[in-house]
Amino acid sequence: MRAVILDGLVLGLAFGLLGVGMTLVYGLAGVINLAYGQIVVFAAIVISLLMEDGMSTLLAAVLGVLAAAGLSALLDLTLMRPVYREHGEERTLLGLLLTLGAAFVIAGVLTWRYPDGALYIFVDGDPISVIGVPMAVGSLWASAMALVAAVVLLLFFGATTFGRGVRSVIQDEIGARLVGINPSFVRTVIFAVSGALAGVVAIAQSMSGPLTVNAGFELTTFALIVAVVGGLGSVAGAFLAGVLLGVVNALSAHYIGQYITTIILLSAAALTILIRPRGLLGR
Amino acid sequence: MAAGYLGESVIDDVDVEVRSGEAVVIVGSNGAGKSTLFRAIAGLIQPMAGRVVLDGKDLTRRPAYRIARSGISYVPAERHLFPAMTLKSNLHLGAYPRRADPATLELVYDLFPRLRERQRQQAGTLSGGEQQMLAVGRALMARPRLLMLDEPTTGLSPKIAQVAFEALEGLKNEGTTLLIAEQQVPLALSVADRGYVLENGRIRLSGTAKELEGNPEVQRAYLGVA
Amino acid sequence: MSTVENVGTLPRLGRLGWAFLPVAVAAAVLALLPPIWFGDSPFTTSLAVQALVFASYGVGFNLIFGSTNQLFLCVGALAGVGGYGAGILANETSLPMLAGVVVGTLSAALVGGLLSWIAVRRSLGIIFTGIVTLVFSLGFANLLLGQRDLTGSETGLIVEGVPDRLGDDTVGGYYLFAGLLVAFLIIFRVLQLSHIGWAFRALRDDEVAAELAGVDVARYRIYAATVGSAMIGLTGALLAYSAGFISPATYSFDRVDVRVLVMVAFGGLGTLLGPLIGAGVFAIVDEQLTASLELREVLYGVFVIAIFLFFRRGVVQAIVSLYERVFGAGEPPKPPALQASRE
Repeated sequence: MRAVILDGLVLGLAFGLLGVGMTLVYGLAGVINLAYGQIVVFAAIVISLLMEDGMSTLLAAVLGVLAAAGLSALLDLTLMRPVYREHGEERTLLGLLLTLGAAFVIAGVLTWRYPDGALYIFVDGDPISVIGVPMAVGSLWASAMALVAAVVLLLFFGATTFGRGVRSVIQDEIGARLVGINPSFVRTVIFAVSGALAGVVAIAQSMSGPLTVNAGFELTTFALIVAVVGGLGSVAGAFLAGVLLGVVNALSAHYIGQYITTIILLSAAALTILIRPRGLLGR
Repeated sequence: MAAGYLGESVIDDVDVEVRSGEAVVIVGSNGAGKSTLFRAIAGLIQPMAGRVVLDGKDLTRRPAYRIARSGISYVPAERHLFPAMTLKSNLHLGAYPRRADPATLELVYDLFPRLRERQRQQAGTLSGGEQQMLAVGRALMARPRLLMLDEPTTGLSPKIAQVAFEALEGLKNEGTTLLIAEQQVPLALSVADRGYVLENGRIRLSGTAKELEGNPEVQRAYLGVA
Repeated sequence: MSTVENVGTLPRLGRLGWAFLPVAVAAAVLALLPPIWFGDSPFTTSLAVQALVFASYGVGFNLIFGSTNQLFLCVGALAGVGGYGAGILANETSLPMLAGVVVGTLSAALVGGLLSWIAVRRSLGIIFTGIVTLVFSLGFANLLLGQRDLTGSETGLIVEGVPDRLGDDTVGGYYLFAGLLVAFLIIFRVLQLSHIGWAFRALRDDEVAAELAGVDVARYRIYAATVGSAMIGLTGALLAYSAGFISPATYSFDRVDVRVLVMVAFGGLGTLLGPLIGAGVFAIVDEQLTASLELREVLYGVFVIAIFLFFRRGVVQAIVSLYERVFGAGEPPKPPALQASRE
């Protein structure tokens, strides 16, 4: 049981980052980015290609994260421009539809050029014992990365001037403009940050098993579920929801079955919307 | 300039001039177009005609955040504070993109001692008067060339309104240039050097504060004198 | 005498006649297609049948989303309820095809109506309705995959008891679905012209105003969802019989929902012939691109982006507007909206 829960936590950390990436963009730009899973896959493919070329894992990973951040920012600078001219529900709907289109384009291109594409980062070493449970070294690395990313984010939003600027745009965009903050620039940066997070997820996930080129849609679904359960727009909520759902996923998959597990996670999202739409920690 | 919404102009042919170090007041009833004028100057909406010039620099089609960085700080009637952030954070952000200057912060706290007391309180939980003070304080953190205030006495009790305008007078004496829109005319004229009367989107009258105070039309319409 | 005036003029159709002209034209075109184009090739026929199926899905979707703004991202799942409902019934019992079709249709109508009722009761906006129905879609797919004994999981379900003449690559099957589509178009048209259609337009335009004008928005939404879902379920059930074989992939989100959405948006959301035109165009595109599935995916993505960026009201409407502006007295462009500053 402890092993299952620990596995769940490792998965949950990745879920958390996925959810955070999704919820950040919603909270700031009002857009549900359905292309998010594809950006994770994109990062994975980039890293695997670089590694195939002989590059060291570390350098490839860093470049992969940067590439994902770049693709994300590009998405904001091009496709999202007309979306920002709308407001409220119209904006969310248009953003959803356009990113859906982008998801198909990215998925199509990636599966077309790299039909067998996958990323698998094998970390050598004997299992390390954590509270009596032998954990694969890869899983521990993945968790560590996720935690570091979470801490960096926390510092960014809490302590830097720019980070505070981002929070201010979420709370009152007009007020932010009046103090000299450029919401457009902030949105692009946040898209880039969410892309970087996607890159981190790609690395973390690929340490426990191959991340294939077809995983995009599934990843987007998970990201959406976690973001919704955590409360759309709440970064802390997404992280918490991710960890919780990761544990639930592990327990359910172990004791019940694969298909039911997915249904349980999906139901969590539906129930959240129906019973407590603001999610765990949303406003 | 002319400005408005959805293709309809709300103000037309409005010409306002503010000289360095003086306090100018725009007087008018609801719907006269004061807020529209201010929004157009601040860059929240784009004027349909005319220009906005600061110290010789044409700021007309710039986005609001650029105008804020160029030295015009606007305190709108709705204030637009950041409710879930502390009072202190709100003030810090006023100086964006620069880091908050501790000396300026002290100045603001001296001007509004109440703010110093409630530094760590969330802005959304402050009272109306405190929020107004915070809004003005935040605008001051940027050390603006021009401070624009839209109906600063909204929601304030007469006593607090008095205090607010005393603070504004203090600001003026220290050299800050002020442009204030107010419905409470006597209070406004007490601080102002010059004023404009805006009615139905056009300038009706303009002149020094004394001239306006003595003007029988102004007296009749706004000062409640029969 | 009186006959002199009638010489050389078109027969008087009356208002009702004119109203149904588009349906009649569509029916005529559909009826004539096989002999002209593809009567002999089962492959082309099956493509045509597929197009008809999707057009039928589209009319149902149009009723739900196009007419009452309910973003139901579960068209495939509703069709699946119809299809698997019918298929399982056919295989587990000895009931005739008609029973299966009826059960399938009613089940889908029930599910769709229920989803709408939930959305209305909880005041879900468009986005949340979309997410909830998407969740239902994915959940349903997982349910199908999980219930191996009943549904055969990925390997699929063979549906017995089907007359060969109605197979989905035969001309018989074509006319079955063509007839179905025309029936749907008639129903849609009738609704459009009735007070129900007026209510739909009102609530799409401005929900609050419609409510104040006495339109029971909730009720109309549920009605639209129920009827639309019934259409989708019926199509799904008939498809199960006609194809003789179904699997979760037949009714999956990627295969069905995305396509239907793009198709209907292309042809024009809320319009009568939109789904038909969209289905036709996409069938032609598919035929040209049978080689690469991935390229098709890329093209879909480009289409989605292009449609929702430039042709919000459908490509057909854009062409019509262009025509009007070039040849007719077009309306002057609306005054510029709020001049928000560039940020």
